[in-house]
Amino acid sequence: MESLDRLTAHLKTRLVDLNKAKEEGVKIVGYTPGGYLPEELVLASEAIPVCLVRGGDHSVVELAGAYICRWIDTFCRAQIGYGISGDDPYYSIIDLLAIPITDNHIRAISDILDYNTDLDIFPFGVPHMKEEATLRYYKFGITKLKTRLEELTGVEITDTKLREAITLCNRERELLRDISLMRRSELLLLSSRDFVSLCHGSLVADKKVMVGILESLCQELKEQKAPTNKAPRILLTGSTLAIGDYRVLDLIDNAGGMVVIEDFAEGIRPYWEEVKPDGDLMQSLADCYFRRRVPPAWFRPGKERLDFLIKLAKDYKVNGVIWYQLMYRESYKTESYYFPDRLKREFGVPMLTLESDYGPAETEPMRTRIETFVETIRR
Amino acid sequence: MANYYDRVLNLCGFEDEEIKKEKPRIDKAFQKLEIGPEDMERAEEWVTKYHDIDLVGVKKILRAWLLELFDLVLARDEGKKIVYYGFPSIEGPGMAIKTAAGEGVYCSCPDVILCHTLGQIFNKINPVLEAAERGGLPPGHGLCSLQQVRNGGMAKGIIPVPDLITGSSYYCDMGSKADELLHEKYGHKAIYVDGSMDSRWGEFPDYPAEKVEFLGGQLNKLFATVKELFGIEITRQLWDKAMATGIDLARAIYQLEQLLSADPMPISSAEVELAMMLAAASTGRSMTEGPEAINRLCQDVKQRVEKGIGVVEKGAPVVMIFLPSFSDPSIAHMMEEAGLAIRVIPSSLALSVDKPTPQPTLGEEIADRQLKMGAYHSSFGVVKIVENAINALNADGLLWTYLYNCRPMALTSHFLKKWVEENTRVPTLALEMDIYDSRSYSAGTLRTKVEAFAEMLRARKVAAKA
Repeated sequence: MESLDRLTAHLKTRLVDLNKAKEEGVKIVGYTPGGYLPEELVLASEAIPVCLVRGGDHSVVELAGAYICRWIDTFCRAQIGYGISGDDPYYSIIDLLAIPITDNHIRAISDILDYNTDLDIFPFGVPHMKEEATLRYYKFGITKLKTRLEELTGVEITDTKLREAITLCNRERELLRDISLMRRSELLLLSSRDFVSLCHGSLVADKKVMVGILESLCQELKEQKAPTNKAPRILLTGSTLAIGDYRVLDLIDNAGGMVVIEDFAEGIRPYWEEVKPDGDLMQSLADCYFRRRVPPAWFRPGKERLDFLIKLAKDYKVNGVIWYQLMYRESYKTESYYFPDRLKREFGVPMLTLESDYGPAETEPMRTRIETFVETIRR
Repeated sequence: MANYYDRVLNLCGFEDEEIKKEKPRIDKAFQKLEIGPEDMERAEEWVTKYHDIDLVGVKKILRAWLLELFDLVLARDEGKKIVYYGFPSIEGPGMAIKTAAGEGVYCSCPDVILCHTLGQIFNKINPVLEAAERGGLPPGHGLCSLQQVRNGGMAKGIIPVPDLITGSSYYCDMGSKADELLHEKYGHKAIYVDGSMDSRWGEFPDYPAEKVEFLGGQLNKLFATVKELFGIEITRQLWDKAMATGIDLARAIYQLEQLLSADPMPISSAEVELAMMLAAASTGRSMTEGPEAINRLCQDVKQRVEKGIGVVEKGAPVVMIFLPSFSDPSIAHMMEEAGLAIRVIPSSLALSVDKPTPQPTLGEEIADRQLKMGAYHSSFGVVKIVENAINALNADGLLWTYLYNCRPMALTSHFLKKWVEENTRVPTLALEMDIYDSRSYSAGTLRTKVEAFAEMLRARKVAAKA
């Protein structure tokens, strides 16, 4: 599809464009994925937000071994490896690394990069429960971030600028949501790999360019004559789906399965909710990013997310769920024990749990398990 | 007629008369615990080999732990309401609940009790861990073994299903998720006291007022839930009363810690750990039996100091350990056999903070104090606690026994050693271990590393003298 080609071309030169912008004095603000960093604040401060969401490479995880033990989530160790080694060029161009502290694994990135590198780190807290008090604390965190961004860029984040950024980001979310909802159809409109590429692209691309690409893609999808999808329909969920960590998607595809919806704490942009562009805008951001956002597994209790997964499974008429988690992320591991029973009871479909440390030796056992699962749900 | 457990209980400080009187409770508790005659030989060997039962004080402390175990196991049968808290957790709320509710409520950290009894006395914690591995917390995933002990204890019916669980959501993610798993299985009420360790490196001891408001509000939420469930109100006055209840125990522990500066080290760190952790796990027997038991241990230790008796050679390198094993005393003995005088981080040091700033609510007052102490503030807060403790103890080395399956500890694995060595010049061994489950981290597996470290410290001492 032409729009996807445009995205690929844009991302190919993205680093060059960012370096050029930096030379011109524009600040680049990196952040860890997870959907708790309101990009609107960064855009309103006239800086460029860049999500640091690369993964899938075990050699970088090994690099982190000199700075932290192996019992921390694989993706987070990868970020430590990238941050210290400079193997991910995005780490070298950022002026500030904003880290919403969601759990102890993300805290490890913050502490270890803060201690071992010269990166300018700005952590802020994401509580683990939805209450008035926790919402207040989250708002306190993003308000501190607003002040820090104003200091960094020398630009005052006015309501006008913020509202403009909210409108732009809402449009991006709306388009991603529209495309995602199209995949409820029986038609084979867009592969999961392509949809994931859109999500990943949106975390790095220029926001206006991205919105343009999504708009034209929406149009293309509406106009195309797609064949009917006969493959078993799969909901893919888990902790992190990083840029470069495409093995699980490819294996499902090769096995004849079709991922029709994804839900990840990190790597898939939360696109279901929009920021209300009126009233106290900081409150609106907190309301959307924290209160209305379907939380990841490190929220306690995790019922809201598990209810949402069952709803997604029903809405997208899936035949099975694949739960893909990275090693040592204990919140996901714990939920993966009791969720399959609920899923079976309430929707009657099975679940396959896969774990990865980005190791190359995992591929073939993973392939066998996925092939068996897809065969099982095909019948 | 003699009971199969008389000898072991005698070794653990029970008098015959007491055993006779408590027999129905002991029988019932042991039945639930699946402890029978076949377990006694192993328990006797374990207790005599790894606990200093020549000291009356040690026997009394073991007795206090066993009485707490019986109270825990029988709490539901004896008609009590049950509250469990987690480890580690903010000190005080458990004690306050117990003080307010009195005998009608049983309140403790059950997993820590099982480690110190099934582990330290009966050497039989593994079946509990295995039950948890079958019940949602499988091996090989770095899941917290203390949570496995709780999960397995409930799965085996050893510890009763509580009326309320309160999780330390301000510190670790695993405790709250593991409690959530138990809630899914048993349906009891779980309340998570949330927080966020979101400080920058180097920020401690500073923190914003909003952090106090957040954590304090969560503690107030816990107190409100307790009021709703049990009809008891945790007021400032009651809090002060609860804290006063613990003063005797705190004084006894402080006295013990002072005696440990003797050279040679008069008792094993295994016994010190037994004494110090009683307060963390129990709000019952720690108060009724704890002060007398530890005061008696102090007398015993004083006599040893006067006679120059020690568990290691005079002049042995003094090494601070952050957390010794809760369930396996053979690890502490292995370290001492390697020639190290092991000092547990003094609790008195951790508590010695400035008076809290006046706060509008009790919860905020507690939160403010906790943030000042450091452990729940940030990794840098932990680093500073360790640095201060090393300086206070004038330690020759640090054994940074980080728990591999505890994320807040595991993330310190490398930088803590680096920081301590750069800032105190004290050699540090970052020793990956599991203080609750020693199946993969036994004394045998750790011995070579500890011996090499001990050898290096001795060489340093010799070189310093020369």
